[in-house]
Amino acid sequence: MRDEERPWSERFRPRTLREVVDNREALRRFLAWVRSWRGGPPRRRSAFLYGPPGVGKTSAVEAVANDLGFDLIEVNASDYRTAKRIETILGRASSQIRTLFGRRRMILFDEVEGLSGQEDRGGVGAILSLIRGTASPIVLVATGSPEMWEDRLSPLMRVSELIEFRPIPFQDVVERLREICREVGVEAEEEALELIAERSNGDLRSAVNDLEAVARGRGTLTWEDVYWLGDRDRKGEISEVLRGIFSSKSFDEAREVLRESPIRYEELLEWIYENLPYFYDDPQDLAEAMDALSRADIYERRARETQEYRLLKYMFDAMVAEVALARKGSRGRGLIQEVRRALLSLGLPPSDLLIREGREGVIVKPTRWMGKDWQPLNSLLRELGGRWIREEGCWVVPYFRPPGRIRHLRRSWWSRRRLEDLARRVGEKCHVSTRTALREFIPYIRAIFKENRRLGVSIARWLELEEDTIRWLMEG
Amino acid sequence: MSIELWTEKYRPRTLDEVVDHEEVISRLKRFVEERNIPHLLFVGPAGVGKTTTILALAQDLYGPGYMNFILELNASDERGINVIREKVKFFARTAPMRSEVPFKILIMDEADSLTAAAQHALRRTMERYTKTCRFCLIGNYSENIIEPIQSRCSVFRFGHLSERDIRERIRYIANCEGVKLLESGLDAILEASRGDLRKAINILQTAAASKGGYVDEDVVFSVLGRVSPKEVRQMLLLSLEGRFLEAREALRRLLLEEGLAGEDILRQIYSQVLRLQIPESWKVRLSEMIGEIDYRLTQGARPEIQLGALLAKLALAGEEMRR
Repeated sequence: MRDEERPWSERFRPRTLREVVDNREALRRFLAWVRSWRGGPPRRRSAFLYGPPGVGKTSAVEAVANDLGFDLIEVNASDYRTAKRIETILGRASSQIRTLFGRRRMILFDEVEGLSGQEDRGGVGAILSLIRGTASPIVLVATGSPEMWEDRLSPLMRVSELIEFRPIPFQDVVERLREICREVGVEAEEEALELIAERSNGDLRSAVNDLEAVARGRGTLTWEDVYWLGDRDRKGEISEVLRGIFSSKSFDEAREVLRESPIRYEELLEWIYENLPYFYDDPQDLAEAMDALSRADIYERRARETQEYRLLKYMFDAMVAEVALARKGSRGRGLIQEVRRALLSLGLPPSDLLIREGREGVIVKPTRWMGKDWQPLNSLLRELGGRWIREEGCWVVPYFRPPGRIRHLRRSWWSRRRLEDLARRVGEKCHVSTRTALREFIPYIRAIFKENRRLGVSIARWLELEEDTIRWLMEG
Repeated sequence: MSIELWTEKYRPRTLDEVVDHEEVISRLKRFVEERNIPHLLFVGPAGVGKTTTILALAQDLYGPGYMNFILELNASDERGINVIREKVKFFARTAPMRSEVPFKILIMDEADSLTAAAQHALRRTMERYTKTCRFCLIGNYSENIIEPIQSRCSVFRFGHLSERDIRERIRYIANCEGVKLLESGLDAILEASRGDLRKAINILQTAAASKGGYVDEDVVFSVLGRVSPKEVRQMLLLSLEGRFLEAREALRRLLLEEGLAGEDILRQIYSQVLRLQIPESWKVRLSEMIGEIDYRLTQGARPEIQLGALLAKLALAGEEMRR
C-alpha cells in the first residue's frame, strides 16, 4: 500500500522514541526495564502497560523495540485464548534469546484485557508460566480502566512491572493534529482542531481518525466542518426552518413553519439569535425582534420552572411569529448580492466565477484554474462563512451561521478550564465564591503575573494551581 | 508555605484585631464569653469584613482547631438548595466532639443570592438542626433575605469602613511588606476602593508588584487601567455606532472568555450607560430595560440573549441620535 493510502492513524504513528511526545515518565520506566535485561533476566520478566485507549501504549513498545534493536513478536488476543496455542506459537521463541540473525526478541501481548471468563483461565495461566521461564522480555498491554479487568488479570499484574499511561494532554493532541495537517497539506482552522481534540478526551488515535474523516481529500478544514461531522441532515432542516421564519409575512405562516420542525426549541432560539442581525439591518426591526427573543427566553424559563409546558406556546409565538413580523424596513440579507459585491473587490473578470443559489447557500464555482488567485478568493469567502469543497471544486457560503456562542465556547474551552481552576482555588483559599473570585481577585492576579512573574508564580504555588493553569497565566 | 495574597495574609484572626465595626464586635464578643450564639445574619457591602468577622469569632470561640467546627458554603457556588440541604445535614447532625461548645457553625456566604423558595427550604433546615448547629448567613442586603429567616437571626449591619481605618490599614501593610507607598498613591487607592478594604489591599499588592519600587498615583492608575474591563464601555460604544455584530462579539468575550456573570456585566453597563452621551429620555428607557433584565437574570434567563437585546436597543438609540 502506498503511504498516502494508509489510514492516518497508521501512517502517522510514531516509529521511534524521538517521535513519542507524551507519557515521558511511563516511557522512561519502560525503557529502564527493557535495559535491565542486559545482564540477563531481571526480577520482573514482564511489563504490564495499561491506560485509556489511543494514548500510545503499543506505539511505545514498538518504538522501544525499534530503537534498541529487538525483534518484536506480536501476539494477538485471538491467538492466546488457550494455553496450547500460546505454547505452540511462543514455546521456541521465548526460550531462545536471539533470532537466527542474532537479534534479541521481545514478545508483545496486546489487548490482554480481552482475556475473560472460564475458557481463558488457561490463557492467563499459560502466560504466567511463560513469564516464569522466559529468556526474552514479555510486554502485556491492557486498555481501559483497571476496575474493568483488575480481578481477572491481577495474577499477571502482580508479577509484572506496572506502567501506567495517561490521557494525552489537550494541547499536545492539538499540536499533533496540526503537524498532520501540515504534512498532508490541509489548511485547518485552529478551532477546528481544538474541537476534535476536545471530543477525543485525550485519545490521540480517535482524534487522528476524526481528523481523517473530515479532512481527507480537502484543502481546508473549518470549525463548521467538524461541528457538523456526521450530522449533515440536521443542517438542512435547520436551514429550511430559518428560511421559513425569515420570509414569513403573517403570524400564521410563521407558526406553521414550526409545526413541521423537528428541531429542539432551545437550539432554534440560538440559531435565530445568531442569524437575526444578518437579516434585520434596520435597527428598529432588530431591536424589536431581539426584544421578542428575550421574552421568548423568559417564557421558556417560566414553562420549565412551573412544569406547565402548555406555556411554551407563548415562547414559540414570540420566537417565531413576533420575530417574523418585526421585520419591516429591513431589506433582508440577499446573500448572493453580498457575495457578488465582495468578489468585485478582487477585480476578477465576471466570467471567471459561476455564482448561484444552492440549497444550503450561495455556490461559487471557478470556471478556470485559479492559480495564485485561489488564495485571496478563499480567504474572502471564508470571511463570509464559506468554505471550499474540494470534491466539487467550489465554495459554499451558507445562508445561516451556526450559533456563535457554541463556537466561542469551543474556542475558549481551554482558557475557561484554566479560569475555573483559578477561581475555584482562590475561592477556597480566600473564602469567597468563584464568582467573586473572578470579579475581585483574578484581574489582580493576572496583572501581577504580567508585571512580576516571580511573585506571580509564588502566589500560584500558594494557591496550589495546576501546572497548566500556571503556564496559561504566564502566557497572559 | 507563607501566605502569598495579602488579603489573606493580613486578615484579622481574632475579633480584637478586626478593624472598625466597634458596636458589632462588642456584641459578638459577649456571645463568645457566654459560649453561646444565636443564628446570625451579617449584611453589608463588599470588603468590609463580614466573612473575616465570623471566621474570627469562630477562632475565638473554638481556639486554633476552629476549622473542624465550621463549614463554609457559598450559595452562589452550590448547585441548588437540595445540595445545600444534604451538606448541612451531613455537617449538622452531630454535635462537635471534644469541645466545650455544644454546636458547630455553618457559614452561608452570599445567602441573598438564594431564591425565596430556596430560603424557605433553608429556614426549615435551620430549625431542624438548631441544637447542634448555628447558622451565620452573609449577604449584601437584608431586603433580599426572607422575613422568617431574618426574624430567627440576630441581624448585624456592617457599614462602610471609615476612610481613616482603611488608610491606616493600608499604611500598616505597606510598612510590613517594605513597600514605598507615597501619599499620592495612598490617596488614589482610597479613591478607587470606595470603602472596600479587600479591593484596596488587592490594588496595593498589584501596584507593589510593578517594577518601579514605589507606589504613587501613576502606578495605581496603571493598575486600575489593567484590571478594569474596558470592554464593557467599548461594547456599548460599538452598539451606539450601529456596529451590532462587533458589540455582540465583545459581549461573548466577556461572558465566555472572561467568565463574568451576566449580573456583573449588567451592573457595569448600568453605571456606564448613565455616563454615555445620549438624550435623557433614552437614559430613562435604557434604565428601565436594564432593571427588567436584571430581574430576568435572577429568574435564570440566558444572559447572552438578554444582554444582546439590550445592545440592539442601544443600537437603535444611536440610530435615532444620528437622524
